[in-house]
Amino acid sequence: MEITETKHDYYSVFRLNGRLDSNTATGFEQKLFECIENGTQRLILDFQELDYISSAGLRVILKATKNLKSAEGKLVLCAMQDYVKEVFEISGFDSFLPIEATLDEAVKTV
Amino acid sequence: MISFALKNNLSELDALCDHLSQFCQSCGVPKRQTFEINLALDELFTNIISHGFPDEDEHHVHVTCDCEEGLFKITIEDDGIPFNPTDAPHPNLKCAFKDREIGGLGIHLIRSYMDRIEYTRKDGKNVLILTKTL
Repeated sequence: MEITETKHDYYSVFRLNGRLDSNTATGFEQKLFECIENGTQRLILDFQELDYISSAGLRVILKATKNLKSAEGKLVLCAMQDYVKEVFEISGFDSFLPIEATLDEAVKTV
Repeated sequence: MISFALKNNLSELDALCDHLSQFCQSCGVPKRQTFEINLALDELFTNIISHGFPDEDEHHVHVTCDCEEGLFKITIEDDGIPFNPTDAPHPNLKCAFKDREIGGLGIHLIRSYMDRIEYTRKDGKNVLILTKTL
């Protein structure tokens, strides 16, 4: 999986390309938390190019959301494939995570 | 029908995906259902690798897939410690956000995407049969 991070003035966008599973989740977790520890509290995960997610990926997202909420930060997800979105719905993650249709909308929300 | 063996290492997830994608494509399984089957099998394999082998030895997980008359059937066998995923508790998905835990989510996804899960312990092996109506 490829992860591209783009920093903006008050938020960062992580673009994920490929498969987020128990094999790639650790690398993703490291990048995400490095960014949070460096002081960026508003993050967007762009899933346009994400083909696959398992519960290992959900675990990292839950952990990051808990961390950011306690610091009054925010995590916004966007541009998911329908079948990826269904995984979030089945897991009940859509009840506490903002999921926007496009990156532009995610920028407004974050 | 397709059969393959995976080593007890998470890096085998790519091989699992490749084998499954090729087989699903040859059987004409639609992309979305291929994703769902892949996810169920991934969650199960990851569970087996993470909890099944407390020793440091190399083990193999054997997977057989069959697709006939609209029914997709997967058999997974491993010689790890006894583990029956059908006994796993259901996660609480409706609790307050601060109480949300990740545990049990993998099994929940398997239950959601597959129609039937049968477990037996046979000859020192865990045998799990997952079926999905296409």
